[in-house]
Amino acid sequence: MRRRHTIALALAAGFALLLAACDTGGPSGDQPSAASVYRHAMDGAPRSLDPAQASNVYAKMLTVSLFDTLYRYKYLARPYQLTPNLAEAMPRVSADGLIYTIRLRPDARFIDDPAFPGGQGRAVTAQDFVYSMKRHFDPKTRSQGSWLWQDRIVGMAQWAERGADYDQEVPGLRALDEHTVQVQLVSPFPQFTHTLAQGFAAIVPREAVEKYGAEFAIRPVGSGPYRLQRFDSSGAVLARNQGFRQQPFSLADEGFDAATQGHLGLEVLEGLVPPLTDRIEVSFIAEDAARWNAFIAGEVDFIKAPVTQFDRILSSRQPAALTAELAEHYQLAANLESGFVHTDFNMDDPRIGRHTDPVQNARNAALRCAIVKAFDWDRRNEVFYYGIGQVFPGIIPPVAEEFDPSNGDEWIRRDLKAARKLLGDAGWHAGNLPELEYGFPSSVTERQMFEQFRSFMGEIGYPPEKIRPLTFATYGDYARAYLNREVMLITTGWTMDYPDAENTMQLFYGPNATPGSNSANYDNPEYDRLYRAAATMAPSPMRTSMYRSMNRLLLDDCATISGISRTLILLWDRNVTMLPDRSFVGGFYFPFVAAAEGEPRH
Amino acid sequence: MRSVASKLLNGVLLVLGVTFISFLLMVWFGPDQTYTLIGKNASPEQIEDVRRQLGYDQPFWQRYGEYLRELATLDLGASNASGESVRALLARTVPVSLLLMIPGFLLGNLLGIALGLTAARHRGRWGDRVVTVLSVTAMSISFLVVIIAFQVLLSTPYGLDLFPVRGWQVDGFVSYLQYVTVPTLALVFVTVGYNTRFYRALFVEEYGKDHIRTARAFGAPERLILWKHVLKNSMVPIVTRIMFSIPLVVISGSLLLESYFGIPGIGQATFEAITSGDQPVLKAVVGLTAVAFVLIQTATELLYRLLDPRVAR
Amino acid sequence: MNGRVETWSRLKGDPAGVAGLLIVGVFLLLAAGVWAGVLGQGWADASGGRWESPGAEHWFGTNVLGQDIFERSVYSVRTAFEIGLVVAVLSTLLGAALGALSGWYARTWVDGTVMWLKGVLDAIPFYLFVAAVAYALQGRPWAMHLAMVATFWTTTGRLVRAEVLKLRGQDFVRAARTVGLSDARILLRHVLPNTSHILLVQGTLALVAAIKTEVILSFLGLGVQDGVSWGLMLAESTQEVPAGHFANFAAASGMLFALLMGFNLLADALQDAMDPRQASL
Repeated sequence: MRRRHTIALALAAGFALLLAACDTGGPSGDQPSAASVYRHAMDGAPRSLDPAQASNVYAKMLTVSLFDTLYRYKYLARPYQLTPNLAEAMPRVSADGLIYTIRLRPDARFIDDPAFPGGQGRAVTAQDFVYSMKRHFDPKTRSQGSWLWQDRIVGMAQWAERGADYDQEVPGLRALDEHTVQVQLVSPFPQFTHTLAQGFAAIVPREAVEKYGAEFAIRPVGSGPYRLQRFDSSGAVLARNQGFRQQPFSLADEGFDAATQGHLGLEVLEGLVPPLTDRIEVSFIAEDAARWNAFIAGEVDFIKAPVTQFDRILSSRQPAALTAELAEHYQLAANLESGFVHTDFNMDDPRIGRHTDPVQNARNAALRCAIVKAFDWDRRNEVFYYGIGQVFPGIIPPVAEEFDPSNGDEWIRRDLKAARKLLGDAGWHAGNLPELEYGFPSSVTERQMFEQFRSFMGEIGYPPEKIRPLTFATYGDYARAYLNREVMLITTGWTMDYPDAENTMQLFYGPNATPGSNSANYDNPEYDRLYRAAATMAPSPMRTSMYRSMNRLLLDDCATISGISRTLILLWDRNVTMLPDRSFVGGFYFPFVAAAEGEPRH
Repeated sequence: MRSVASKLLNGVLLVLGVTFISFLLMVWFGPDQTYTLIGKNASPEQIEDVRRQLGYDQPFWQRYGEYLRELATLDLGASNASGESVRALLARTVPVSLLLMIPGFLLGNLLGIALGLTAARHRGRWGDRVVTVLSVTAMSISFLVVIIAFQVLLSTPYGLDLFPVRGWQVDGFVSYLQYVTVPTLALVFVTVGYNTRFYRALFVEEYGKDHIRTARAFGAPERLILWKHVLKNSMVPIVTRIMFSIPLVVISGSLLLESYFGIPGIGQATFEAITSGDQPVLKAVVGLTAVAFVLIQTATELLYRLLDPRVAR
Repeated sequence: MNGRVETWSRLKGDPAGVAGLLIVGVFLLLAAGVWAGVLGQGWADASGGRWESPGAEHWFGTNVLGQDIFERSVYSVRTAFEIGLVVAVLSTLLGAALGALSGWYARTWVDGTVMWLKGVLDAIPFYLFVAAVAYALQGRPWAMHLAMVATFWTTTGRLVRAEVLKLRGQDFVRAARTVGLSDARILLRHVLPNTSHILLVQGTLALVAAIKTEVILSFLGLGVQDGVSWGLMLAESTQEVPAGHFANFAAASGMLFALLMGFNLLADALQDAMDPRQASL
């Protein structure tokens, strides 16, 4: 009897000890309860908060809150506009477009951290920017953003080759004084300023990087509006950076448009100093069901609504509006995403792409075009995007300035008759059609898209046994396969890095073939010629018409089944005053969020 | 002494075997992590660089040898994906997994013992039948179905909406209860069937023994028979079973529970490491699990020898 | 040892066992129908409306793609049996072989090796092992089967080993050895058949475990790649249930439950029927 009691007691004691030891430092532990909190939910998790490695959208949202970039996008201006962030003004560009001179604000400071002498943060200087950019080209950093400036900055490649010694100067990247930076480019790069508004271009202190090494990814030390309080696989907590530079909120400066944004109640924020909320609690909830439940239960204030819920939360599609019951508590924004989804043919594969024999080449082209014409975009849109996605031909998405709304729909309207005719004329029939290998990373939605594709093709006589799934357990595996040209049909999405169509045109530029981002391995000399000519041109009607010509070339070659831009439905609690954004503004809107104080609202 | 030495040798061989097979599968044949660590427009040189950094170009025995050395010196390195030191990762996630699994594990076994006893005592009568049917039913429901159903029934407005849907914001006993209840209930539901079955068979065997019949013939009360004879003699197999299931249930952390309920435990971390090919994390988890398993197994066998009066010393 | 006739009559007298047998029989017929190309052939056809309610045309309704849930559920019976039978048969055979060798040559290096292998496989957390095998085999369809067979044989092996140890000391075995029969012949012809009660029960249990494991693996994306299974249907349903569409979930979990229940009842009844100690009651 007694032995049993002792065992039970021992277990209980051990338990209590374990509990005490497991202090996860919960949010309510060390903050005054009157603090204002904004609870954000993301449908994925960042892996690393090091700006050089913050490549997914989740990481980028957090890094731009923890660190400063020279430029950012205006909170409210649509179309999106660049504006100075840590820089004092837009860059002074030389006449030949090669030299950019940028002055930094003097009042930016890094947060206090043991990495600095005496634990005290210091002012951000031009040398910090130089260091941050150099890091991208140091192989030890394993930067994921270096491609933005690859072969663009004078002397950078040589610096990397000579051993990436940070005490050595790079001729094209100099700090003229404490607060002035000068960059010299190899050739004109009109999108250069946009690249400085990327999370990758965030400024990091050398002391912290050298002290923490690989751990810098989870111990960010920046000068941004927030500092990191907690970070694990389930979420992150950002706390207001008390020393953040004072820059009062001005509606006019942020591009406010009363006509479309008047209903948000942003006027009360005029003149207040961001960051407007004391604390931001971010939850990483990948599963749609769990995320939705958390939002409805009042555990989070913001959600990108999962498509499966659109049926029940929207009372109308165009324009998107909430049901009356939901509209009482929540606000809605229906935003077109800054990217698109498309399915490429691997042009390097002679079964479906380029073939040395001109006759076979033509037959392959006919097959590709038949597949394009047999694809039912309307149904794809209806089933997976609730019908509110925007289908468009080619690779200039609706969110880009160069988008041509008058473009005909011949490449996106399903035409079974034309498809069958193409097949028949080229001598294709059920017996000699090639086996299509459709690659995708294993997930419910991807598998359903594959089955739908197979079903579409069945209607032009493509035997279902000849359309095979090529599954990969993770996206990384899938990337490895298609970057090594092992996949015949590649369904992929592209998120634009900046609002300039150059970012999408490069997707089919010959020299960018895999392992670059031209996953279709498209190779059209005329397309490439136009691309090179347009590369040094600033946005203009001439450039726009060149891009549109390139788009048509691509469509005529049927190298890709493209594309659809999703309409994202963003919902947030009425107690929070903001205009959320998941594209270019991204994490830059966090400092402008005004949340109510205290305890949960429901 | 000889048996202790041979047990140790066994243990070492086991650890070597486990590390070898795991290394072969998860590291050598595992996913190439390079492609999750490169950017959008990587050049072939950059890819080669990263591959070399991650060690993919070294021969098998060199990498395996390096692994064993790292394990022996507990030089576990840092995650390739997040940069967090593996030790910190383990320190952060293992307690969470333990806190998650222990209540369900204990309750599942306690309930199994209680139900098994009931069934054994009323062997062949309706009490036994009810328990048997219930446990077979519980065994026939997929863990997945249970998790989904419980989450809907207990944590959403469709059902009782009493508990948080997911997460692990534990900063005190009350919040701990809030987050651990639904996963615990799911775990108990799923394991109770198997436990009951096992314990029922065990107790049936005990009850069938001669000395029980003798005690009954002498008019001993039922309760005394239960506690003093049946349970006491069953302690050894019970403890053995519990100890043997510890590594499988608790140490590896329940992957499904952690991923579905968003609990940042070691099961989830390991699964992510496997799917992304994050070698340092994988190597550490597999190696330490093997060592822990072997230690527990050895300890259990020694305990068994100590406690079981039937085994000759 | 129980004779077949005794076992069968005991089984017939057990209502739970009979129920189990009937359930399994019905499902086996469904699977046969799918194999024969008669049932469940329209599982991939995505021409229905989205989330149609159960009705005349689609008995269980449709999923988000417009695929018929009833057809998919029936096709999944075939998937379940395929995986269950392959894994059960192979793991039982492997367990029997290794267990017999281990028991026959007990305390030699053969036994040592098999026990070591068993210990190693038991020490690796199951789902991690399976995930690793799935990756190592690059998602080939039989990766999952291989992983399951590689871990399921251990229980059977342990039980067979214990039984063979017992049998080794019995008279008829000693007689066979004295006569000069080879080890292999004795094992195959005389010893193993006497473990058939263990093998049958373990095989059934392995079948159940295989089906359950496939459900979870398919849910995680590591299981069935082309085709449909209850695991895939459940994975789909996790997105549909919060939107208020329960047909997929109900169909998959209902049929899965019925089949597993049938097998579990059958396994229990078999165990009781074949248990030598039952005879003494």
